[in-house]
Order: sequence, then C-alpha cells, then structure tokens
Amino acid sequence: MENTAIQLNDVTVRFRIPHEKIPTLQEYAIRWLKRRSVSFSDFNALNNVSFSIKQGATVGIIGANGAGKSTLLKVISRVIRPTYGRVFLRGRIAPLLELGAGFDYEMTGRENIFLNGAVLGFNRKDIASRLDRIVEFSGISEFIDAPIRTYSSGMVARLGFAVATDVQPDILVIDEILSVGDVEFQKKSAQRILQYSNNGSTILVVSHNPSAIKQLCNDVIWLQHGLIKMRGSVDDIINYYSS
Amino acid sequence: MLEYDSAKRPPPAIDEFFQLIRYRDLIFLMVESILKNRYKRSVLGVFWMLLNPLLQTIVLSVAFGTMFKSSIPSYAVYLLTGLLAWNFITQTTQYAMNSMAYGGGLLKRVYIPRATYIIAAVGNGLVNLVVSVGALLVIIIFLHHEITWAWLFLPVSIVILAIFSLGLALFLSTASVFFTDTVDIYQVLIQALFFLTPIMYPPSILPPELNQLLALNPFVILIEVFRIPIHANHLPDFSLVVNAASLALITLVAGWVLFTSKADQLAYRL
Ligand SMILES: Nc1ncnc2c1ncn2[C@@H]1O[C@H](COP(=O)(O)OP(=O)(O)OP(=O)(O)O)[C@@H](O)[C@H]1O
Ligand SMILES: [Mg+2]
Repeated sequence: MENTAIQLNDVTVRFRIPHEKIPTLQEYAIRWLKRRSVSFSDFNALNNVSFSIKQGATVGIIGANGAGKSTLLKVISRVIRPTYGRVFLRGRIAPLLELGAGFDYEMTGRENIFLNGAVLGFNRKDIASRLDRIVEFSGISEFIDAPIRTYSSGMVARLGFAVATDVQPDILVIDEILSVGDVEFQKKSAQRILQYSNNGSTILVVSHNPSAIKQLCNDVIWLQHGLIKMRGSVDDIINYYSS
Repeated sequence: MLEYDSAKRPPPAIDEFFQLIRYRDLIFLMVESILKNRYKRSVLGVFWMLLNPLLQTIVLSVAFGTMFKSSIPSYAVYLLTGLLAWNFITQTTQYAMNSMAYGGGLLKRVYIPRATYIIAAVGNGLVNLVVSVGALLVIIIFLHHEITWAWLFLPVSIVILAIFSLGLALFLSTASVFFTDTVDIYQVLIQALFFLTPIMYPPSILPPELNQLLALNPFVILIEVFRIPIHANHLPDFSLVVNAASLALITLVAGWVLFTSKADQLAYRL
C-alpha cells in the first residue's frame, strides 16, 4: 500500500434536498406550530464508492451529467467531507476544480495571484518569490496591474491555472478545465500537465471529451448515478461508454 | 509526506483552529481586500465611514442633548462612544453573516478553513473601529472633553468587544446558513435592541423595573466597558471588566463549538 496516492473506502456523499422552497426559520416555526415536520429527501451523489489510485498514475473519470464526477473530485479535494466512508490521500493536492476560486474582480491580477495563492494554502512570501514565474506563464504580464474585471474569461482562467499549477503537486485534480484558454494556452497547459505526470504526479481528470481522456490516461473510471459502473483501460471503457 | 485521512481528524473545534493558523495569510489578504475595495474607490472612504456615527451624534445631540443635559455631562461624547461600540458589534456581526451567505460560495469550490470569512469580517471591523477611535480623539479634543490615562484601558475594551462579536458572528453565521431569514430577523432584533440599550439615554431614566431588565441585555456591559474610560475618564470597575470579559469568552467558546461542529455541513448547504 506504500505507493497508493488516493484511496476511497465506501465513500458516500449525501445531499439533503428540502422539498419546500427555501429553508427559513419562519417556515420552520409555522410547521412546528402546525405539528408538521419539514420534509426532505436524501440524495446520494456518491454511493459506496471505493477505489485506489497508485502514485504516478493518470486516471480519467467519465460519466453523464449529474453522475457525481465533480462531487467525487470535491470529496477528494477536501471541499466536502464524506457523509460515510473514508478518503485517504498521500501528498500535496492541487485542485483545478474551478480556476480562480477566490478571485476578487475589483483587484488587480497581481493582487489576485496572492489572494488565490493564499486560498490554495501558500503563504505570501512563497508567492512573492514565485510571482514573476507565475505572471510569465499566464502570458498576461501587460495587464497584470489592471483589475481583473477588465479581463476576458480566458485571461482569468490563464491566471488561475498559472497560480494553481506553478509548483508541481503530488496529486493534480482536474475538472473539465482542459478546454479553457486559446489554442496556444491549451497546448501550454497540457504540456505542463504532461510534464508533471512524467515527473511522478498522480493525476485525476474529469472530461466529457473522449480524445482528451485518451490522450492523457490509460486507466478510466466510469461513474453512473453515483456508482462506479466500470473501471478499466481507456479504449474499453470509452467504447462501452459511447455505445 | 503530507497526508489527509478523512477518518482520522482531531475534533473539529481544534482542527479548525490549526487550519486557520495555517491559512493566516489568507485572512490578512481578505481583510486587506475588503478595506481596499471600500477605500480605493473613493478617497473619501474613511470619511464616509466616520460620517455616519457623526451625523447620528449630531442629530441625536440636537434632539436629546437638552433633555439629558443635567443627567449626562458631555452628552455628545457619551453618545458617540456608545454608538461606536454598538456599531462595531452590530455591523461586524451583520457583515460576517452576509459574507458567509453571499460570498461563502468559495467554501463550495475549494477547501479553506470554514471560519475564514468570519474572522476576516471581525478583522475588518477592528480596523474600522481603531480608525474611528482616532477620529473620536480629534472630536473629543475639539469638544474640550478631558482626556486621561484611562484611555490606555481601551485596547482591553476593544479586545473584549472583538471577542464577543466574533462569538456572536460565529453563532449567527451558522444559523444563517440553515435558516436564510436569520439575517432579517437579526436586523429587526438589533433595531429593537438599540432602544433597549442605554446608548442615547442614561440608564437612570428607565423605571426601576426596566432598569433591572437591563442586566439581561448583554450589550449594556460591553458598551459600558468601552464608554467609561473615554466618557467618565476613569477605569471601569473590576467587576464590570470581569463580567464583560466572561460574557465575551463564553460567547466565543459557545459560538466556536457550534460553528465548527456544523462547519462540515456548510459546503453542502451554502
Ligand atoms: N449542493 C448540492 N445540493 C444538492 N445536490 C447536489 C449538490 N451538489 C451536487 N448535487 C447533485 O449531485 C449530483 C452529482 O453532481 P455532480 O456535480 O457531481 O455531477 P457531475 O458528474 O460533475 O456532472 P456534470 O457532468 O454536469 O459536471 C447531481 O445530481 C446534483 O444534482
Ligand atoms: Mg461536474
């Protein structure tokens, strides 16, 4: 087990969906007075999911909309804790779930590098020492001192990607962000991911694009309704999935 | 090598504390960004912030100044100090709740310590309070009100207010995630409580029965602890300080335990 990077044991993520509109205290009070309880239903976005991924592997995750892919990545990235089961990770994780989470659109690109860096758990000094490299990779050095509300969405994504991937992580988790940016930046970001993969990072990719999955991974997990439908080699799974 | 095991975790109340220490730079940057956003847009930002209590003071001084002239010496100072303490507590808690409700989307998208927003809101409030106290000093000099060494007690008062506000903010933010009308209910409560707290009037004008009820209003001792060194120019009684500090600490511990025990659900609910 020494070389396991990610391991899930019977992970269930349960969302509680209230049947009524918004939950307000008023609503609860009225219901309480009427001696009626608030009704809701439980929905398992992930249902007893177990798998493990070896260090250095690149694994793809596919599945229909609502299958639980993003939920899976969130539970691995610690954004949500599993309702039941256990998530175990070895190494520093860089989540690329939504680029530029925590960006403040009133602030400049430079200020946002620090802010987003801090959101990702880096301290100020560390970011300061890597600032030039981040700006250069993002390719928007001309606009770095303009507020990012003036940026195009691609520019924002570039900046987010540059901050999140500046230091090689042990585990890289990617949720459908391979298609951001223009062709040049797509190439550049794919190259960086490939380089990290070659240097031993474990990579988990969610994508709806079969060719992107084929390009990156050998091993694919197919999620359906919160369950693992199948896991296997990329060609097999994609064949089954598309038919 | 860094490891994360969802099954092995210290109790949330402790875990959250250490995570916040790890993410302290994020808290500082958030406070900075709140302050910058407010002040960058208009050079008059600080002025606007101070103008509000100042206008309140002028209006209320004109309206009630003569009425309370005999019972309260330097009515304007009495009023202004009360308003500053009151505004700090209420605005900080409201700000924390709002940033949790509207800005908390970040908690759904990336892992950061759950209390980050709330701590940042209190930090922001503290900076504003310190700036206001600076302005208060100028006004007090202008009004020829006496300034004594009792002012040196103010940092203690401010820390007590901040601890209380943080505790209350944690409690309210938790409630606001589960019940979306908490923000509105709190708003109404605050408005009522403003008149039930001796901020613009002396406690002595209340009938004795009501005066005893004041002991149940937690805001009273908090405001006193801040107001006495400035307005009455002496140190607050030891027992008052102990009461205020205990109230603040109990609120913080209770708020902290409640918030951290529910924090895992926040990302599901927000
Ligand atoms: N906060 C939430 N509250 C309630 N239900 C949720 C919440 N987040 C996700 N879900 C539900 O969980 C299920 C899985 O969602 P998830 O985002 O993981 O899907 P996905 O596989 O990433 O889909 P897509 O391909 O559209 O990105 C969906 O049915 C969704 O409605
Ligand atoms: Mg998704």
